[in-house]
Amino acid sequence: MLSLPQLPGRLCDGFSRREFLRVGGAAMLGISLPQVLSLQANANTTVDPAKPLNGWGKANSVILLFLQGGPSHLDIWDPKPEAPSNIRGEFNPIPTNVPGIQLSETMPRLAQQMDKACLIRSVSYTPAGLFNHTAAMYQMVTGETPDKVAPSGQLDPPSPADHPNAASHIANYRPPDEPMLAAVQLPRPMQESNIIGKGGNAGFLGRAYDPYFLFQDPNEEINLDDLSLRPEVPPVRLKRRKNLLETINAGMPEIDKVADSYALNEYYEKAYNLILSQRARNAFDLSQEPDGVRDSYGRHTFGQSALLARRLVEAGTRFVQVNWPSVANGDPNTTAWDTHATNFGPLKNLHCPKLDSAVSSLLEDLDQRGMLDDTLVLAIGEFGRSPRMGISTSGNSNAPDGRDHWPYCYTGLIAGAGVKGGQVYGKSDATGSTPLENPVHPRDILATVYHTLGIDPHTIVYNHLDQPRELVKGEPIAGIF
Amino acid sequence: MKPRSNLVTTFLVAFSICLTFQLTALSEMEQPASAKVPTVQALKVHPEALTLEHARDGRRVLVSGKTKSGTWVDVTPWAALTPTTAGVKVYEDGYIFPMAVGTTKIKVTVKGISTELPVNVKSMDAPPVSFVRDVMPLLSHAGCNNGTCHGAAKGKNGFKLSLRGYDPDFDYELLIEDISGRRFNRAFPEQSLMLLKPTSEVPHKGGQVIVPGGRDYEIIRQWIAEGVIPDVHTTKRVERLEVIPDSAELTTPGMRQQLIVIAHYPDGTTRDVTREAKFTSSVNEVAKVTDDGVVTAERRGETAILTRYEGAYSTNGIIVMGDRAGYKWVKTSEYNYIDTHVHNKLKRMKILPSELCTDEEFVRRIYFDLTGLPPTPAQVRSFLSDTTASKAKREKLIDALAETSEFVDHWTHKWGDLLQSNRKFLGERGIWLFQQWIHQAIAENRPYDEFVRNLITATGSTYTNPAANYFRVSREYTAAVENTTQLFLGVRFSCNKCHDHPFEKWTQNQYYELGAFFADVRVKPGQLAGDEVVYANYTTEPVKHPRTLAVVEPSVPFGEVGSETDDKREMLAEWLTSEENPMFARAGVNRIWSYFMGRGIIEPVDDIRTSNPPTNPELLDALTKDFVDSGFDIKHIMKTITRSRTYQQSIITNKWNRADTINFSHAVARRLTAEQLLDAIGIATGSRPRFEEMPKKFRAVQLPDSKVKDDGFLKLFGRPERETSCECERTTEVSLAHAMNLINGPTVAESLIDPEGRIAQLIQTNHDDRILVEELYLATLSRLPEKNEYAVAVEHLANAESKEEGAQDLLWALINSPAFLFNR
Repeated sequence: MLSLPQLPGRLCDGFSRREFLRVGGAAMLGISLPQVLSLQANANTTVDPAKPLNGWGKANSVILLFLQGGPSHLDIWDPKPEAPSNIRGEFNPIPTNVPGIQLSETMPRLAQQMDKACLIRSVSYTPAGLFNHTAAMYQMVTGETPDKVAPSGQLDPPSPADHPNAASHIANYRPPDEPMLAAVQLPRPMQESNIIGKGGNAGFLGRAYDPYFLFQDPNEEINLDDLSLRPEVPPVRLKRRKNLLETINAGMPEIDKVADSYALNEYYEKAYNLILSQRARNAFDLSQEPDGVRDSYGRHTFGQSALLARRLVEAGTRFVQVNWPSVANGDPNTTAWDTHATNFGPLKNLHCPKLDSAVSSLLEDLDQRGMLDDTLVLAIGEFGRSPRMGISTSGNSNAPDGRDHWPYCYTGLIAGAGVKGGQVYGKSDATGSTPLENPVHPRDILATVYHTLGIDPHTIVYNHLDQPRELVKGEPIAGIF
Repeated sequence: MKPRSNLVTTFLVAFSICLTFQLTALSEMEQPASAKVPTVQALKVHPEALTLEHARDGRRVLVSGKTKSGTWVDVTPWAALTPTTAGVKVYEDGYIFPMAVGTTKIKVTVKGISTELPVNVKSMDAPPVSFVRDVMPLLSHAGCNNGTCHGAAKGKNGFKLSLRGYDPDFDYELLIEDISGRRFNRAFPEQSLMLLKPTSEVPHKGGQVIVPGGRDYEIIRQWIAEGVIPDVHTTKRVERLEVIPDSAELTTPGMRQQLIVIAHYPDGTTRDVTREAKFTSSVNEVAKVTDDGVVTAERRGETAILTRYEGAYSTNGIIVMGDRAGYKWVKTSEYNYIDTHVHNKLKRMKILPSELCTDEEFVRRIYFDLTGLPPTPAQVRSFLSDTTASKAKREKLIDALAETSEFVDHWTHKWGDLLQSNRKFLGERGIWLFQQWIHQAIAENRPYDEFVRNLITATGSTYTNPAANYFRVSREYTAAVENTTQLFLGVRFSCNKCHDHPFEKWTQNQYYELGAFFADVRVKPGQLAGDEVVYANYTTEPVKHPRTLAVVEPSVPFGEVGSETDDKREMLAEWLTSEENPMFARAGVNRIWSYFMGRGIIEPVDDIRTSNPPTNPELLDALTKDFVDSGFDIKHIMKTITRSRTYQQSIITNKWNRADTINFSHAVARRLTAEQLLDAIGIATGSRPRFEEMPKKFRAVQLPDSKVKDDGFLKLFGRPERETSCECERTTEVSLAHAMNLINGPTVAESLIDPEGRIAQLIQTNHDDRILVEELYLATLSRLPEKNEYAVAVEHLANAESKEEGAQDLLWALINSPAFLFNR
């Protein structure tokens, strides 16, 4: 359900704050969903009142490049050349196409697209309890802190009581305009050790709102069983079946009424369209892209995943979450961002070239296609890494050339959908340890995502126990638009 | 929106758990605008004469008017009260306060019609102000201890009160000891911060919440002048609330009813607390209620008004009848007491029940409900061809199905869900042993109380006594408290873990007192690999209250435990499963009812609370009594329910019951559960699903837990993970993903073309299209096709590429039909 924020409320602080009313109520008043959305737009007061439309509703879709593992902000987005050597690390800063903004030398191609993106160098939070990846990732994509810890000291695996991934709320409130998958997650689940997929699904919203999971490597051929027509059922046969089913159903009007109350016929209609239109299947078919484009994104899992994200968004998908394809396993030669040891060599030679090609190609490609105006792009991890090398901040041991988890200050990239390019928002201190201005909580980033999609982040949703919960307890970052 | 959450519960919860400011705002928004003043011919005042005991004894009265048609309606909101002397004063909020000792009269007028109310003022003394009865309620009413103000976890601007005043002791201590002296000036009470702040005479972020010189102001002033005396331990709080009228029927939308709330104290005194009481309506679409206790009818239906005041609660039913012109009860047969109670309610609500369902509908429904499976074509034929009279035939089938192994499997599975039989908690061997244990209990129809006692008191190796798995799942006393209350009392205690339940009688103390029964339960590894042993460790740390850190002694939240024994769990189990426990049998029988009727008499079945009253209390009482009298015989209750005419109604509605969703006036179609659907597809197609590492002919309902791998079908269709004791873990919605799977997914598609499946066999053995069509209808919809259905199907077969393809299409269409996907 959606909320109407314009109703006055009496609060002890003495001023009015947003109030909510379920859409059920609004519908009874004869207000349609688009009207509700536009009411929300007009009534939105969480951003600068002078600029009420700061990014509101600008996005048609969102691509989240989720850099799970926690990339080192100092070695990618927020170089600190003046800091002592045990902080600044081995890399040098390079200029970008925006005067005054420097990136680390690990991101040469992104440096040429800097005019299209905004770096938030003040992402910051203090972990509530657990200092591990799963808790942090869960917070990044759901906006909530998980509280249940298994006896192992790790988080519990995914549970139906979990807070939903943002994708699920978005699928609920802004279903696609075309018969298309509302939300897609690829090419692998979020993971830490044996906890797989926590925060990745619809949780208490129910399976129906799960993103479509494509846990395959787009750098290889993709197998699409449930989207492809089966060989024994060509389109003409499926249409025949559909007609037969409709004839049979028409003979049982009382039971068809039941179907109506479940919107069964609407879902069936959408499903036929999705299967017959081949829209989704085509979107997943990377062979339709010119070789040059595929090469530019990079012939690796992450690069091709980013390209796939663009194709999906083009076909009408609202929310694509691309998870970084390698997860922590202690081996410095995998491309996991969790660099407790051997931070520099692999970063320079393995991780960053993949990130650089994917992010920069995505920005350039979206821009050239005119899609950057209504596509919000995010590239961010669940935390950054400790400015000082070789110390322990999370209880993990760290090699002298490793960096530990650092949620207190790190960087996220945000672009498109009205976000002003070529800017740095927020500022970190001399060592990248703490925000000096405009700290941004991950919840504010999620709030910004909802905001750009025209969904009030304070919308109340009811969990599995029918308790009211806000989509996210954060505020859109007004200053980036 | 999740389809499963019906409006009733959504609204209930929306209005019972949200922060207080929502309540305030919504009721403000709903201030009555300009409803028409009813034309009346005579007036009546309740009470007929008013007695005011002392200077602070303010009271309200109800005024009813006689309409042209002779019925009495509430006209309090429109009544003008005019004192005939200066002996009383009538405030804007309707309160009548004494001004002088003696008798006087108040003139009561509505639209030119008048009557008089005699008033007797007994005394003008002002009794000492009580912190508990006067000051605290006033602070609550002014909103001072709201979650958004000083009741917030950290208080506000250095001043903290307990949330909505649930801890007066704490509040008094803080008021007095915090910055002592500044807050109270006993010599010059007017100079106390306690008065300067809320009146905004010094800056107060919350604005002016108390008017200088007003009634509230005077109470605080007098309390300070009297020396800020605490009476936290000497004055008893409210014993009960009396709401007048205790129930009401409003005929048309727009009609109003004023409620008056009288608090009764243990010392026999009463006071009118209408102004301070909080009101919420359980179904706002039916009737709304304002802060002042004015109920306004919105549309036909039933709602309950929950009234709260200082930890006391009252729930009062409101019926909005709406236009029922032309309604006449039609005599309907009653098979047993269930029908009598259901029909009584239907008559009261002017609803007519649906017709009986057909034998074809019944056979499908009863197989699903008792065994979790559809009948096979042979079973359908056998039932339909039985020439016994329909009612007796149905009873015969009920009795027969209750003795089948499928019945045992089905209910074993259901209890496996609720008891969270899941290898994550119990290990791989553990789930099989636990399943066997539950299976045994169901097979012997173990009395429900005994079954629950087995679980609660279980000790020893979980391999030799699998009931002990209960504590392998609920390893901490907190989990044991929450699971036990939710499963066996239908109550959600999780709210009062951290604070008193905001709108219910459950307190934080009760949570830990109940926890103390489980305090010494420990789990340690057993001798065999994977086993664990549940034992009592008397040397463990006792349960402590999280705030006071005092050791908490075991105690039950209502009733009394029997004689003291060493084993605390024995004591608890005895209390829990006792016939005297008013909630145990009731919650159990309500849960069973919901499995057959699609919703509980109280719904959700595991969220029973004052603010969620039963839709038919007499029915629930009768079922509860029957359950207890039968010795907690689960099978008896299931048979009683399914033998009722109420259960056997059609889903087809009539003009009078179309809108009814809560009174069981017609059957409700329910989407098949994940397991039912998969097993039904298996029976329809003759192709059994394959599960990893399971015997070949296993049905979904026989799986030991949710970790068994299938092709993803069960998870997609909402099989619970078995990680909570909440019924809500299972989902039965329909979505795009479900439609895509049924249309094009591997489960149905591969079953249709199984070379050993039903179609392959029918094609091989049959050459008559009509028989083929008949069999497919029986295998899917549990009935023979109608004449025109034969025609459509036969024509399709004739036009298909091959008969096999045509038959596959037909079976595909039947499986995708809502007539197949729903239990109806």
